[in-house]
Amino acid sequence: MLIRYGMPVLAFLALAFAIVSTYRAIPAVVHADPPSSPPAPAYAHQVGAVGMVEAASENIAVSVPVSGLVTRVAVAVGDPVRVGQLLFSLDDRDLRAELALRESAVALARSRLAKLEASPRPEEIPPAQSRIEEARAQWEDAAVQLRLMESVKDRRAIKEEDLLRRRRAVESASARLRQAEANLKLLLAGTWKPDLEVARAEVSQAQAQVARTQADIERMQVRAPLSGKILQCKVRPGEYAASGALAQPLILLGRVDQLHLRADIDEKEAWRFAPGTPAQASVRGNAELRYDLTFVRVEPYVVPKKNLTGDATERVDTRVLQAVYALPPGAPLYPGQQMDVSIRAQEGVH
Amino acid sequence: MRYIAWQMLTGDRAKYLGLIFAIAFSTFLMSHQVSIFCGLMNRTSSQIDDVEDANLWIMDAKTQYLDEVKALPDQDLYRIRGVEGVQWAVPLFKGSSRVRGQDGKFRGVILMGLDDASLVGLPRSVRLGDPRRLQDPETMAIDETGYRFFFPGEPYTLGRTLDLNDHTLRIVAIINSSAPFVNLPVVYTRYTQARELVGRERNQLSFILARPAPGVTDAEAIRRITERTGLKALTANAFGWETIWYYIQNTGIPINFGITVVIALVVGTVVAGQTFYLFTVENLKQFGALKAIGVSDGRIVGMILMQAVIVGAIGYGLGIAMTAGFFLATGDNLDLRGFRMLPEIMLGTAAAVFLIVFMASAVSVRRVIVLEPAVVFRG
Repeated sequence: MLIRYGMPVLAFLALAFAIVSTYRAIPAVVHADPPSSPPAPAYAHQVGAVGMVEAASENIAVSVPVSGLVTRVAVAVGDPVRVGQLLFSLDDRDLRAELALRESAVALARSRLAKLEASPRPEEIPPAQSRIEEARAQWEDAAVQLRLMESVKDRRAIKEEDLLRRRRAVESASARLRQAEANLKLLLAGTWKPDLEVARAEVSQAQAQVARTQADIERMQVRAPLSGKILQCKVRPGEYAASGALAQPLILLGRVDQLHLRADIDEKEAWRFAPGTPAQASVRGNAELRYDLTFVRVEPYVVPKKNLTGDATERVDTRVLQAVYALPPGAPLYPGQQMDVSIRAQEGVH
Repeated sequence: MRYIAWQMLTGDRAKYLGLIFAIAFSTFLMSHQVSIFCGLMNRTSSQIDDVEDANLWIMDAKTQYLDEVKALPDQDLYRIRGVEGVQWAVPLFKGSSRVRGQDGKFRGVILMGLDDASLVGLPRSVRLGDPRRLQDPETMAIDETGYRFFFPGEPYTLGRTLDLNDHTLRIVAIINSSAPFVNLPVVYTRYTQARELVGRERNQLSFILARPAPGVTDAEAIRRITERTGLKALTANAFGWETIWYYIQNTGIPINFGITVVIALVVGTVVAGQTFYLFTVENLKQFGALKAIGVSDGRIVGMILMQAVIVGAIGYGLGIAMTAGFFLATGDNLDLRGFRMLPEIMLGTAAAVFLIVFMASAVSVRRVIVLEPAVVFRG
């Protein structure tokens, strides 16, 4: 009896259990919304792009004219700077030593010039004058001796030879007198003009060398090329700053009162893009936060796309057309931030 | 008449139970094997099913199934965003990596990289923690099997660390994932994080997940995407089926299970049919007596069919409950998660069982119809 009627009852209960547990096991099909909404298109026909926020001046990677050791950093990251403001200094001790050397060379050339300009030395004139006196006295003496001999009436009393010697002595004394006079004149005339010119030229050459060393020292002071903000400061005292383009700029500087957005448009989409069409950009993480963009320019050269990581070994993915847009002022955005950009496609092209 | 049929059926307790259990076991065998097969096949598309917030999967035009991926260039994401009718599109990384525990234990894992900003594809079934914290640097969400492997017997706690390719990641959430086909743990992290973990490969964008704009059907969005970009786009459902079909066509699993199912069907038919046939044959005398007192052939056929339906129904009910009980009992086992009996299997098995009993009764009916009532009185 139990089995007879129990089996159908049991089977019925079992079936009911099977149905219930099977239906309970059906996983609920959920169509959830994303945790935070991804960027939705802003236009019916649009070109999608990725953009990076940059300063209106573009981001300037400040470099150094010569490589050297950093001794002082005058700014901190985030500081506003004016054009010409000192950013950091390189080691200039060798140049300063050289400057002292150059300056002493100027002093030397100057004193050499002064010496030339100061001649004749007054103390030298009296001896020269005395030498004239002496020559004149000798000449007068010789002349007297000659006259005495010539005044003899009888020629036989004197030797022809003596007469001739005394005549020569007068001529000789006369010449010495003239020489002494000429020497005094030369002395009084002072330095020869071309010599002065050479000395002056030497002074200005030495001065030019000083100026050059000073300029070299000045070059060790790296200054802001424009007024803006320090976006990144990767230079510290004691580090070696290499000149040339670096993977990691020493200082990244830019004008941030106006931010620009550089949108990378895939070359395959470039034909759908037209300069000046409306565009919007949304912030990553909150697609609701959208900004209208103002077209600035399009970079006419299509460049290999970088992954915007800032890495020097970035992988070339494809080539992209870069369009630059201005962001509304006051938007809470930071240079270097990535945004998703929607650009309305060119009219008539879908 | 019906009562007589019932009395005939239940009169011999052993035969009655024998019939019922023959049918119950073939029901169990069929529904259980088919369920396991379906569950196993369903596992191949687990990672697709776990993405609940995107309708469309976009991939390289030659992609065959989920687990073999040729990555797209990153820029393709923006091309998809440029297709009208696409409400949004985000990247998804799917790859594999190896996780090492602090004690040196390691295991291959399925690594999923979700879009950094929106975390589209984030599993919603969370055991502990907040998967949104994946937006913090160096974080991961791991599924329960993974957690139990690396920290066996320990309570679920957040903040523990595991190493992936020399990166130490902090666990911010423990999630329930649908079991993958190969039953590896599943690790979720951000897209950029995942790309760092797997090292430098030129293209790493495995999939793009997208949703059509309101008012645009999936099919229309797919058509536009394919037309514009040449990429392959599928709905999550279609991609899941494509993956399942790949496994069906390229592995021995369906043949294996197919053979089992056919054997279950054959054994069920033969055992139930034979038992029922023998039951009818043994009751030939009774049927002959009924015929002799003038019961029509139609009535007798009706009686036999009724008996068949009764044993079929009871056997089926017990058998299907055994299968349901099996899946209920194993439901808590993490390694067997995802296996369940589909309603379709319930119905299909019912059809198969009733086919069996009707075939068996048809053979028996022939014997009764051709029976000479006089036979009863001869012997």
